[in-house]
Amino acid sequence: MGLTLLGGLLFSGCVQMAKPESFFEMTPEMAQHRALQTRMFETSNEKELLSASAAVLQDLGFQIEESAVGVGMLRAAKERSAREAGQEIMQGFLLILFAITGKAYIMPVDLHQQINATLVTRRSETDSSRFLVRILFHRSIWKGDGNAGDQAIPPGQQRMEMIHDAKIYQQFFAKLSKSVFLEAHQI
Amino acid sequence: MNARTGLFVLGLAFLLQACAGPQKVPKNLLSLTDSQMKIRSFQTRTFDFSDQNKVLRGVVAALQDLGFIIERANAPMGLITAGKFAGGGLSGFVELTVTVRKKGEQRTEVRVNALFNTRPIEDPKIYQNFFIAVQRSLFIPG
Repeated sequence: MGLTLLGGLLFSGCVQMAKPESFFEMTPEMAQHRALQTRMFETSNEKELLSASAAVLQDLGFQIEESAVGVGMLRAAKERSAREAGQEIMQGFLLILFAITGKAYIMPVDLHQQINATLVTRRSETDSSRFLVRILFHRSIWKGDGNAGDQAIPPGQQRMEMIHDAKIYQQFFAKLSKSVFLEAHQI
Repeated sequence: MNARTGLFVLGLAFLLQACAGPQKVPKNLLSLTDSQMKIRSFQTRTFDFSDQNKVLRGVVAALQDLGFIIERANAPMGLITAGKFAGGGLSGFVELTVTVRKKGEQRTEVRVNALFNTRPIEDPKIYQNFFIAVQRSLFIPG
């Protein structure tokens, strides 16, 4: 039973393969994501918007890593622990389960994460006195080491995910809107 | 042969080792092959816009739509470097460099190089999709 479970865990990585053609393909979720990540501000002062955005990111503990005023771009990152109680409980549960069947299995758990933000400002096409601010949050997560039987699972396995949690974006734009004394309009 | 001459010969051997000719650099390192010429043609598209910055920002917006992370941008040079994890069960990293340059008075040229797991992408369909996204972002403003 233990082996089946382990097999299931291993093969869950083998979901159907996406074709490389999909790298630049537009999907229906794109409009949804754009709406989530974009707000409109009634100002034509792009520099002010950019520097206020940088200040808000700083307040949130981010380090600004790259900026390009001519494109209206900022990139920032912060490092955090990625340990989650759920995963550690699962690790303990599997350890006991496998120990009963006489096998050693230590599931690798997430240890460390880097949260990244890329922000871009763009003049509204429909009304040139307005600016759009779009921010994308994503995170990279690194796993610790593990053990399956007498085989060690090396640490450092990495995965990356986009953050599509509406609350995170709302929080950011609420702070930005306070900082520039302007209302953040949904698009 | 005493110890001193032994050391001398050994030292000489080390010195002369450096005189062995360096490994030859392949002659075709910088030459263009037919396939490279072909790839270049579908990596390039010209747009009827005179404003380079507008096109540059359009490309940035299109890349954000496609879930790319803008890593570096340089407005005066019209350069963008972006990347994303392949996702959808495909493991690996997609990277690209875009250059946006004025072509004559009225037009702007966009050139993109994409890599998947550090190997160049040579499928024209992939580049077509990219330009469809850029076109959309330039003509259908969000």
